[in-house]
Amino acid sequence: MRSIRAIFIKQAKDMFKNPMVLIMFIIFPAVSLIMTELVAKSNDDIPNNMFVTMMAAIFAGMALITSMSGIIAEDIERGSLRLLVMAGVKPHQYLFGTGGFILLMGIVVSVIFTLIGDFTNTEIIKFLTVMVMSTAASIILGASIGIIAKNQQAATAIGMPFAVILGFTPMVAGFNKTVEKAASILYTQQMNVIVNDFSANFNKAMLVMGINIAVLLVLFIIIFRKRGLKV
Amino acid sequence: MIKMNGVIKRFGKNTVLTDVSFEVKKQEIFGLLGPSGAGKTTIINILTNQLNADGGNYETGASSFETGLMLDNDGLFPRLSCADNLNVFADIYNIPRKKSMEALKNVGLGEAAKKSVNNLSKGMRQRLALARAILHNPKILFLDEPTSGLDPATARGIHKLILELREKGATVFLTTHNMDEAVKLCDKVSLLHKGKIIEQGAPDEICRRYDSVKTVPDLESVFIKLTGVELE
Ligand SMILES: Nc1ncnc2c1ncn2[C@@H]1O[C@H](COP(=O)(O)OP(=O)(O)OP(=O)(O)O)[C@@H](O)[C@H]1O
Ligand SMILES: [Mg+2]
Repeated sequence: MRSIRAIFIKQAKDMFKNPMVLIMFIIFPAVSLIMTELVAKSNDDIPNNMFVTMMAAIFAGMALITSMSGIIAEDIERGSLRLLVMAGVKPHQYLFGTGGFILLMGIVVSVIFTLIGDFTNTEIIKFLTVMVMSTAASIILGASIGIIAKNQQAATAIGMPFAVILGFTPMVAGFNKTVEKAASILYTQQMNVIVNDFSANFNKAMLVMGINIAVLLVLFIIIFRKRGLKV
Repeated sequence: MIKMNGVIKRFGKNTVLTDVSFEVKKQEIFGLLGPSGAGKTTIINILTNQLNADGGNYETGASSFETGLMLDNDGLFPRLSCADNLNVFADIYNIPRKKSMEALKNVGLGEAAKKSVNNLSKGMRQRLALARAILHNPKILFLDEPTSGLDPATARGIHKLILELREKGATVFLTTHNMDEAVKLCDKVSLLHKGKIIEQGAPDEICRRYDSVKTVPDLESVFIKLTGVELE
């Protein structure tokens, strides 16, 4: 617990000095705020929450995957992780500390999204639930990518296609039925379905997202066993 | 305190260590010398259990908690301040954070505590890495080229610190390409060449053995006599 806390604090201090990561957590809520206030609210054809839901999906896919994978890859690349492990930090403690902080940031940003949007209380609960599920899935995927990459450049290269597919497919699915069908197995699409229409089948979304998390977790464990956090 | 016996290490088909044996006694400063690629870092990695050997045996008389490390890669968190870099480890070791400040003062970085690592010079980074290594008063210190790339004055500062740490009871294992450093600092050295220890003993003793003591013991020329290879 002590080690998890130490890693969590390290991550918290680092994030506010790391523009590459910080920007990801600011830009999406900022854009949604601006677009909602300037465009959506003054235009009757555009649903008030359109930009909030759009940005939330991109945030959950993109920001969380790239930041989690980038942080891990950087710590491996610089040899910091090696020193932490030598000092007695267990690899899972490192991952809980880092992932825990990103999860917290994901929740904070999700709450900000609910403040920008126009939601009823039940909608807020549903919104936050799907956001937390998506955040968890993205963190697990990001961790796998970080472990495979071992350096920041590779992490960006490997992570970007995942981030783009997960972040933008829901948007494309809005215009194309075939994409929508195929995308329905993705957690970000399920999240998008719910936040766009809170009367949609919530249990089905939860189920798909749960399966996503389970599959990603299994994948992560396989990768972790094979490659570990060794340098 | 540290012992290696007949250690062999291969990377694929490439045998990096063929037969390495040596012993370091408590409170000794031991220098492992050899040119680039000789296998110095590999030996540290084996002794600190980051790599497994393919043969032979080895032991260190300290747990990983009692070991301080300064590796070839400094591993500092670049955006955190000096103090925060150490505080992360103080928290992990469960020692009070004021120890971080003490360690910083010890290496002459007291004034720079709030500076972020990105804004440090190379010598300051090395000293910060050393501060992190000594933070928890380890019994054994492994220092991989602690003074490489530093100007002589900064290097002397680090030498002074290493000697002080030994006075306080630490056993020091260091690697270097710098023969002068080895002569001044080490009680005992091993010369590593192509994965084998080709000579070991007290530096001045080795120099006498090879008749290389002109005005000061000249370990460099001993190495060249033995291998035909220059160190740097
Ligand atoms: N993980 C690895 N995989 C394959 N080969 C390796 C690995 N680590 C080291 N080697 C090889 O082992 C040999 C010894 O490397 P090592 O890093 O121990 O040398 P060194 O004496 O520390 O050199 P330097 O003074 O440059 O730091 C080199 O030929 C290197 O290429
Ligand atoms: Mg080396």
